[in-house]
Amino acid sequence: MEVKVLFFGVLAEVTGADCKHYREVKSIGELRLRIQDDFPEVVHYNFRVSLNNEIINNDLILNDGDEVALMPPFAGG
Amino acid sequence: MDSNNLYTMVMNYLIIGPITQKVISQLMEKMGGKTDSGGHSLFLGQVRADEINRKKVKAIEYSAYEGMVKAEADKIKETILSEFADTKTIDIVHSTGIVKAGEFSLFVLVSAGHRHQAIQACSKTVELIKEKLPVWKKEIFDDDSYEWKR
Repeated sequence: MEVKVLFFGVLAEVTGADCKHYREVKSIGELRLRIQDDFPEVVHYNFRVSLNNEIINNDLILNDGDEVALMPPFAGG
Repeated sequence: MDSNNLYTMVMNYLIIGPITQKVISQLMEKMGGKTDSGGHSLFLGQVRADEINRKKVKAIEYSAYEGMVKAEADKIKETILSEFADTKTIDIVHSTGIVKAGEFSLFVLVSAGHRHQAIQACSKTVELIKEKLPVWKKEIFDDDSYEWKR
């Protein structure tokens, strides 16, 4: 299984990545740890997490093809 | 296909670059033939040339999570239509990419049967956009340095 992770705003800049794919990751919690291993600097930023376009606050199970996004505070308008 | 056509420029609420007067007038023209609305309320967001630490903002670079912008803007419209029963239509357009100081980056047009609901619904739509639309901005200063707006 594989999930797609998108980085936005300042996080796209600090990670140097707009998008990264992760294989064999069971949950949001596990994914967070994998992302922190790859990009330790993300822990210094405030961000929310979405799963398939919905903001989530819990540790959910991931399925093949899921899209996760790391989103700094919104600043539209 | 005409590249200046509104429907090819605005994709799922987003437009690349500033919202030009031409786009605004095309959006407004749609209102012309309506007979169910008595009032239209328009909000335009514009890039300010703020001065921060003696540097002036010359432009803002917007980025957006396109799929979620579509989902959230659809939800905002549903919320407004259920909360303000007199509302007939809601148009939302947000810029992505570079928008220079003085140019427009957000267009919201709400049509309703009567003026009070048009104005209130437009105001609420703008607040929900600020709160819920996954859009980010980088302020670019006159010396080409930049800062992410938080």
